[in-house]
Amino acid sequence: MGLVGAAALADPVAVAPFAWPMPAWIVPPHVPDDNPMSAAKVDLGRHLFHDARLSRDSTVACASCHVQALGFADGRPRGLGINDTPSTLNVPGLANVGYLPALTWANPHMDSLEFQALVPLFGETPEEMGGAGQEVAIFARLAADPWYRTAFAAAFPDRPAPDLFTITRALAAYQRSLIAVNAPYDRYKYRGEVDALSAAAKRGEQLFFDHRFECYHCHSGIHFTNNLRTARQPQGEVGFHNTGLYESYPATAPGLIELTGRPEDAGRFRTPSLRNVAVTAPYMHDGSIPDLRGVIAHYAGGGRAPGHPQKDGMIVGFTPTEAEIDDLIAFLESLTDRDFLTDPRHADPWPPGHPAVATRRMPAP
Amino acid sequence: MTRFAFAAAAAFAATPALADMAVSIPFAAEIAGQPFACTQTYAGLGRTRAEVQAVDFRLFVSNPALIRADGSLQSMTLDQDGAWQLGDLALLDFEDASGACANGTAGMNTTLRGTVPEGEYTGLSFTIGVPFDQNHIDPTQAPAPLNTTAMFWNWQGGYKFLRIDMVPTDRKNDGPRGWFLHLGSTMCDAASKTEAPTACKNGNRMEIRLDGFDIAQGTVVIDPAPVVAGADLRANAPDTSPGCMSFPGDADCMTVMAALGLGYMDVPAATQSLVAQR
Repeated sequence: MGLVGAAALADPVAVAPFAWPMPAWIVPPHVPDDNPMSAAKVDLGRHLFHDARLSRDSTVACASCHVQALGFADGRPRGLGINDTPSTLNVPGLANVGYLPALTWANPHMDSLEFQALVPLFGETPEEMGGAGQEVAIFARLAADPWYRTAFAAAFPDRPAPDLFTITRALAAYQRSLIAVNAPYDRYKYRGEVDALSAAAKRGEQLFFDHRFECYHCHSGIHFTNNLRTARQPQGEVGFHNTGLYESYPATAPGLIELTGRPEDAGRFRTPSLRNVAVTAPYMHDGSIPDLRGVIAHYAGGGRAPGHPQKDGMIVGFTPTEAEIDDLIAFLESLTDRDFLTDPRHADPWPPGHPAVATRRMPAP
Repeated sequence: MTRFAFAAAAAFAATPALADMAVSIPFAAEIAGQPFACTQTYAGLGRTRAEVQAVDFRLFVSNPALIRADGSLQSMTLDQDGAWQLGDLALLDFEDASGACANGTAGMNTTLRGTVPEGEYTGLSFTIGVPFDQNHIDPTQAPAPLNTTAMFWNWQGGYKFLRIDMVPTDRKNDGPRGWFLHLGSTMCDAASKTEAPTACKNGNRMEIRLDGFDIAQGTVVIDPAPVVAGADLRANAPDTSPGCMSFPGDADCMTVMAALGLGYMDVPAATQSLVAQR
């Protein structure tokens, strides 16, 4: 089976310059100095991302919780790790994740994709891929795959083996290549395709960028989040907010206070991007709201638990009509880049039955 | 030839008046007085007298020093072995990946090895923990032993200083999958949301001073049994990590952190009972 799989795989990409999959006028994300983009590295990262052999028992790949068709979210309220170990947090989508200067939901230490990768790979509370203490076995497993032998050498000529550095760099480079900027709204707003949006979505756009609804104060900018670091920004802008979801946030997901210890950080979570939001349900940091209508109801009420003392001042509540809610949802749906969900450049490269995926578990469709 | 002469002269100039002597400090890992082994079970632990299997036993020790007769400290220069000792830091590893130690490594390291100037010494001091300036580096580029993934604690932005993992043998089906003692710094804040931490609210480093330690014949004994004496190892407080992992708000830590000599929430530090000498 391994031989069949290996024969069906495309050869590792030869050393070639990397071209961002987007129009030249859009500024690319910040890229760390120690991990310049290359086509070979992105392709290697794509294979690693979908390879369950990165987990202790070859059942969990990054893709087990980040499914391309779902905007690289997983459709579950909260993530599920090795041995069905439950997470306390919703799996965020990964469209344009390279632009985020702070990753995951509420952790100031997660300032690069390279560093963040260590948490699913080796984290123990909770276990996700269960790799703690297993790195020697995991690296050996990858090194034994002939495809990787060529691919690591192409991506990292100076240290052509699977190790903590090369694996995290390749995974990060692949994730930075996940650019979604071809939604109907992009075509309407930036390319002059006036018919790319429905009339309802156009009305919804006006509501979204309106002082009654206040959506855009946090969901701002090209990726609809106030967390952004482009290649032209020497430092990132970050935004964490308490949106009044709970009177008292549970100890399992208390917000930024978990790491900073500052009382004012209680219930504060990073503003997620709204790109592809229509395909990344359920919502909020803990997946506790099943649909967009529910999310709008949460904000309309000034928060589900409006009395939290740390609730952000922008969450003031509003009284929408049913028609306005429909229009807002039409606008949010216009942020879905359908091509991104099926783009072969981002897709699972492993043939069915290959050892990389033979025992990989995926969310039920 | 010129280079050789220069090096020799430099070495001569750097040689102290007294010659250095080699020191090797043995450490012993025990559970309730019995030697730790991955294949053993241990009875009578905690306030419900649980029987446990121990599945991991590792700790970082740093800044070792010998105590002079006048009470002052002489830093010990650790041998840089490229595996266990790095700068003033060493990973002590008592598991050998056998038995229940599924996430372990075959290699073990049970001594601190280095040099001090020749002299009279009457004690030993060291820290259990990774020094702050080594604790918040990029672990993907760190040399051994700071590349040991089982000691990663990246969610908190640092390393586990101590991990002693125990699994009760008669746990309920819905009980915790283990009772894990993990010590590390928590609430490490940074100047901005996207910078490395500049300080941790709870450093959680244990300062150990063993006066009267016999450098030639003494052994440092690490035993978690007195530390967990007040905890129930068959249970875990709901919505907290299994065992005590230093995070504030975990009822399982209430009696434990004090016994490590550390303050925890409103509970003041007591005398540490993890480390003893023999």
